[in-house]
Amino acid sequence: MQDSWADILVKSFREVASRLAVFAPRLLAVLTLVLAGWLVAAGARRLAIRILGAADIDGRCARWGITATLGRTGIRRPPSELVGQLVFWLILLVGMLMAIEALEVPAAVGLAPVIIRFLPNLLVAIFVMVIGWLLANFLAQALLIFIVNAQLRGGPALAGALRWLVILFAASVALTQLGIAREMILLVFGIVFGGTTLALALAFGFGGRHLARNALESWLQKREDREPDDMSHL
Amino acid sequence: MSDAAAVVDLFPDASLAGLAAAGPVDVVAGVHIVNQARRAADVLDTVDAALEACSGSRRTGVLVADAESQDGTAEAVRAWRDSGASGPPRGCLDLLAPKHRGRAILALLRAAQRLEAQAVLLVDGDLTGVRADRLQALLEPVLGGEAEYVSPAYTRTVSEGTLTTNLLAPLTRALYGARIQQVMGGCAALAGATIGSWLEPGIETGDWHPHGAELWLTTAALASGARLVEVQLDRKLVTPGGPQPDLATILVRTVGPLFALMERYQAVWPDRTGSAAVARRGDPSAVQADARTPAIEPMVRAFDLGLKDLLPVWEQIMPESTLARLYPLALVDPDEFRLPPPLWARVVSDFAVAYHERRLPRDHLLRALTPLYLGRVAAFVVEARATPLARIPESFDKIDRAFEAEKEHLVARWR
Repeated sequence: MQDSWADILVKSFREVASRLAVFAPRLLAVLTLVLAGWLVAAGARRLAIRILGAADIDGRCARWGITATLGRTGIRRPPSELVGQLVFWLILLVGMLMAIEALEVPAAVGLAPVIIRFLPNLLVAIFVMVIGWLLANFLAQALLIFIVNAQLRGGPALAGALRWLVILFAASVALTQLGIAREMILLVFGIVFGGTTLALALAFGFGGRHLARNALESWLQKREDREPDDMSHL
Repeated sequence: MSDAAAVVDLFPDASLAGLAAAGPVDVVAGVHIVNQARRAADVLDTVDAALEACSGSRRTGVLVADAESQDGTAEAVRAWRDSGASGPPRGCLDLLAPKHRGRAILALLRAAQRLEAQAVLLVDGDLTGVRADRLQALLEPVLGGEAEYVSPAYTRTVSEGTLTTNLLAPLTRALYGARIQQVMGGCAALAGATIGSWLEPGIETGDWHPHGAELWLTTAALASGARLVEVQLDRKLVTPGGPQPDLATILVRTVGPLFALMERYQAVWPDRTGSAAVARRGDPSAVQADARTPAIEPMVRAFDLGLKDLLPVWEQIMPESTLARLYPLALVDPDEFRLPPPLWARVVSDFAVAYHERRLPRDHLLRALTPLYLGRVAAFVVEARATPLARIPESFDKIDRAFEAEKEHLVARWR
């Protein structure tokens, strides 16, 4: 009975020791990879910020209005630092993926190459979304100012609609780039756009033709009635 | 950049050859013209007559720069040039693309510099009814060594030139410390010796709107501390050589360059305090009554709509302290509408700072000023209705003083 107890104890210690002997180097490798990834990422971030600083990216972004646009969404960091952060997290992500791979966990085997292959598409998708978002804000603001200066009502609603249309378009391009439900997105987008256009055409052509005519007549009448701007401003 | 290179940049050397071959020209009259085929010969004859009248022993010449006319103005100008057997030599500058009024003015100045002119008379071909003796009066202070820059001062009606009286002139006066009436008078005279120092290298590549170069010329004169004289002329009558832009575009083309020039001369204007009167030839004429009083209601409606719909844009430009002073104006009856000069000066100052800090695309920012400007014009017209004509200049003075008082605040925020 006593032998059996001791055997079991020794056996379990041996078992744990042998498992640790196998796992410890992997754990050490994981820690090394994460640490190395962090160091490389931090170095790359510093280098990226320096290069962007030398190219006066912050100044250029301020002149192009990008800094102000970011500021309006609560992002107060300079663009060079944002890009530096992106570089940092991308490299750290690659380091962590390598670390997970080194663990040889059955569920994570082959995960790193898949994600790394996916990264360029992800970067392009992020870029498309950022550009789409900037463009959406720019166009919506331009439309709003134009409508108000033309002394027409409904500016905020139309500008908002345009903003969301551009953002939706950018999102669909980004999702297509990521290969997520490509066919479905194309189909949905086609239906939404085509359907909206057709609906508006039908509404104006048939259902609301009197309303449309009245609206147009009233608008044109208002334009004619409007006091001619015969003031000499200069 | 050498002068020769700069000249070639604006127009081909050959287009100046005819005039240059005649030797140095003492007085150059430069006419910039667009789409004035019918009136071109009359305008140029007037300029020609003005030059002949003040030439004496001086050699004179007329140069015309066509800023891409579409109606045969270029042909009319060439016919006029070729018809001048006697009188001052005549030349046409073939502008290099992009052709527009701003580059035409710069090209005329460069050409005058190249011809070693002692005095230059610049005339906008759009000016109607300008008389030879008036142009001669503009040139005289320069020829007499009394001034380096001569600007016109016009007789005007109450609500004529509201952008000039309510924004361009008061802001210019506050910035550069000279009580000048016109910042874009359509004509001016300047001493040839000053051109070199005002035309900084690379200025040809600037993004000049049609009025930008004219504004720059006045500003350069004020910023450089040049001796200035204003000459009293009659009414400023203009026959535009094309469709007129909408009000928002006018603001982009005038207020934009004014703000841009604040950046160009930011080493100069923050240190200037107060303002001095400009020497004047001719008595200032009384303000005349409007032939037709402008309708206030549409302007107030435009202001109200702006306050309702453009607020998200204005919030990016003006601080809450300014907006809080604007909110109550939405509740005022059009006939009692008030947008007092101090508040207006603060609004313009906020826009200038936002323009400088590029808080939003500059075109958007300048267009967003339109409803506020209309509000200010409405307030001015309401006030003018209740003011005797003789006291209207006091209203102008009140606006000017409000901008001067605002300057300290503007300088503090301008980085």
